[in-house]
Amino acid sequence: MSDDHARETPAGAGDAPAGAREALAGAQAVLLAALVAGGAAPPGFDEGRLRIQAASLISKRRGTVARVRPDLVALLGGDFAREFEAYARGRPKPPGGSRADARDFADRLRSAGRLPPEPETAAGAPRWLRPFRRVVKLLSGAVRPTG
Amino acid sequence: MTVPGSGSLGVGIGWRPEIDLTVERLPGVDFVEVVAENVRPERLPESLRVLRARGVPVIPHGVGLGVGGAEPPDPARLAHLAACARALDAPLVSEHLAFVRAGGMEAGHLLPVPRTRAALSVVAANVRRAQAALPVPLALENVAALFGWPEDEMTEAQFLGELVEMTGVGLLVDVANLYTNQVNLGLSATGALDGLPLSELAYVHVAGGHSHHGVWHDTHTAHVPGEVLDILSELCARVDPPGVLLEWDDDYPSDAALEAELGRVRGAMARV
Repeated sequence: MSDDHARETPAGAGDAPAGAREALAGAQAVLLAALVAGGAAPPGFDEGRLRIQAASLISKRRGTVARVRPDLVALLGGDFAREFEAYARGRPKPPGGSRADARDFADRLRSAGRLPPEPETAAGAPRWLRPFRRVVKLLSGAVRPTG
Repeated sequence: MTVPGSGSLGVGIGWRPEIDLTVERLPGVDFVEVVAENVRPERLPESLRVLRARGVPVIPHGVGLGVGGAEPPDPARLAHLAACARALDAPLVSEHLAFVRAGGMEAGHLLPVPRTRAALSVVAANVRRAQAALPVPLALENVAALFGWPEDEMTEAQFLGELVEMTGVGLLVDVANLYTNQVNLGLSATGALDGLPLSELAYVHVAGGHSHHGVWHDTHTAHVPGEVLDILSELCARVDPPGVLLEWDDDYPSDAALEAELGRVRGAMARV
């Protein structure tokens, strides 16, 4: 590693011109609201494309939540995608990332009576086994969920 | 010239916890990339320490900085990237030309920036802040888009070219993203290669995806299609890439299938 990688930056190396950040912030917020919070599509955009993007964002969230909470996938079976869609449509990903998203989804399922009320246990190996996870994987050879 | 830090990386694969042992065992893995948000620099996964001890370069690849956002990049996120680079003794750090949050909302994915002069001035200022906070060079990746902004004044290649000129940032060219934009937005991938300043290429991404109702989804969960490898060959005809890395993020196939995939990547690179 070296600390001398930074090149001499050309003229105008300061911050963006006044107003540029504010204008970009406004445009990006309106667009993102349309994509994740049920807002209206901003003028000029291809609405069909924005719908595809919005669905793709939900699909990405769903995949991550499925990895964090395989127990919910097992519990809901074929209903998982539909239930997640109903939860996520118009509701932005909460602060706290995918774990918070999974928690909010589980809370919604619980309040709808689709989850048992008691707190669920973490998926995977018991906590005491985790330091040995690598050994278990090395011994077992097969490490992938599929194929 | 070669982008400082990238040197000659070779052929690599994205390191993921689910395939850690596979990546260690696969023959012909010259370098790897780790999603920076998924590691703690003070407590690196053992597999990455094994790879580093073997001399395999590990590049922290950020997905959450949002250097294309309206806000200056978060100092805490930059400090994390810098700490990852130091802990891994990484030759460079990579991120995306994208925004990922706005108005207090998280997108959860990489969204395209409006390619206007005004937005360019903001992104360039963000890149300079990021560069000042990092101990190694930064490279930015072109993204796969499903839509364009109505006010776009430049192609992504032109926008990245201007950004390189203004900031000296390196390029991470994702040929699967070029393919995605060709299928979904009708933007020629070879046209993009013609427009990108490939002399500033740090390395290349290649990945597979799925077609759904005529839209290509860059899922990183499938065999790399021949069309994407063709774009890689086109790139290699223009420049000798310092590195080419396969991204595979879920639905992991057998070790043999991943090894074969790396072989297809090498084949496409040698087809020139």
